[in-house]
Amino acid sequence: MSQLNRGMGLVALVIVLSAGAAQSEQSTLKSAKGTTRPTKANPDALVLQDFKHRVEQYVELHKKAAKKSPPLKETTDTAKIKAAQQVLADTIQSARTGARRGDIFTPAVSRKFKQLMYTELKGPDARETKKVIKEDAPSPAVVPLKVNTHYPEAAPLSTVPPNLLERLPQLPPQVDYRIVGKALLLRDVDANLIVDYIPNAIQ
Amino acid sequence: MQRLLVSIFVLALTITPFAEGITLKLPMKEGSLRFAIIGDTGTGDSHQRDVARQLIASRAQFPFQFVLMMGDNMYGADNPSDFVKKFEEPYKPLLDAGVKFYAALGNHDDPSQRFYKPFNMNGEKYYTFKPKAGVRIFALDSNYMDQKQLDWLEKELTASGSDWKICFFHHPPYSSGETHGSNDLLREQLEPRFVKHGVNVVFTGHEHFYERIKPQKGVAYFIAGSSAKLRRGNINESDLKEKGFDQGYTFMLIEIAGDELYFQTISDKATTIDSGIVHRATTPDGKPAVTATPAARK
Repeated sequence: MSQLNRGMGLVALVIVLSAGAAQSEQSTLKSAKGTTRPTKANPDALVLQDFKHRVEQYVELHKKAAKKSPPLKETTDTAKIKAAQQVLADTIQSARTGARRGDIFTPAVSRKFKQLMYTELKGPDARETKKVIKEDAPSPAVVPLKVNTHYPEAAPLSTVPPNLLERLPQLPPQVDYRIVGKALLLRDVDANLIVDYIPNAIQ
Repeated sequence: MQRLLVSIFVLALTITPFAEGITLKLPMKEGSLRFAIIGDTGTGDSHQRDVARQLIASRAQFPFQFVLMMGDNMYGADNPSDFVKKFEEPYKPLLDAGVKFYAALGNHDDPSQRFYKPFNMNGEKYYTFKPKAGVRIFALDSNYMDQKQLDWLEKELTASGSDWKICFFHHPPYSSGETHGSNDLLREQLEPRFVKHGVNVVFTGHEHFYERIKPQKGVAYFIAGSSAKLRRGNINESDLKEKGFDQGYTFMLIEIAGDELYFQTISDKATTIDSGIVHRATTPDGKPAVTATPAARK
């Protein structure tokens, strides 16, 4: 298992334990009248917290890889930009050799994301949202969906409708959301790698 | 509340013959800011080169200082040789003359273009610059309009005070295009901010034609996405359209002097497609008003 996956496992364990602790603590709360009232932890918040931690773990890995790569800075020499991107991508790929779909978009996170996007994909803006996605998003035939592989450089990058971005958790600058067919991708911006994806997220 | 008057009307200015047969319809006022607009350029094909030739020729008569690129700067591969074929070669005489290019990202552009120095993005996907006292230009990334970018825009617009406020990005909030049409979702995010802060003019691409939209809520919108690609016959009849051209490849020349922005749209055949003025009214104390009511007249 890669370092990242081990880290994520620990994070998940901590979250599960924290959730249990939180539930236990909350279950002893008493109302003003002194009677015990049933309470529950917010499972949605825990899922999103889990996602945030997993993204942070990935970004840490990205930062470490960036330190080992030539700096990405302004230059007239595009070969230098490409070379820096390639070293960064190679370093990240090596560090994530065991990466699998679901490492970041866990089943619980995937369910939550679909829920978050539901209003925009089924509500009053659904038609316009899907129109924007359909116009720009490449198909999986153009961008094969495989974790820890390059997003093809000649393929267009989908526009992500702003109303969807408004619903989804904000991301650090190292990664962004993109859409390929019906899948929602987490993409490493500078390494141009598919970090993870949720199949059939856009329905 | 004071209302800014934006009026766009056809010019009847001094006619100056151009190289390659273009007739200049811009006033060439002393001390004015002059720049050009190109969009959806990165094909590297003969159409890009034809438009580039006219753009270069126009500079002999209209010495513009910089060029705004509306995105899709690099179609397909973006290897080092592509940057040469799709950018450096077609515009070489301009680059050699010190003309600066400022790029926005389109849906065909890898964000790593922000590190390509000749695009002057300072390593950022969205940025602002002030080419001259009284004029502030904002390049936005319409592919990814997240809260962070919106917060940045709000902050920068607020700080820009009484300057001319010009935004450019790839996707048009208003369009009569058959293929794409207006991007309503983007408009919902941006338009309230444009109106609130008195953005005067918006330039976009994405649609492969030229269109001047009737001013909307006091903001003048232009689509200039046919500097290398063309969707012939793609403009629908609509209430939005003031002027449209989908029969040839185009670029734009812009001149700002005082409260007037002059524009001229030119085809690859050296024909003037459109020209006019966006007038920015001022309040009695001489400061530009914040909001706008368009009043188009011929």
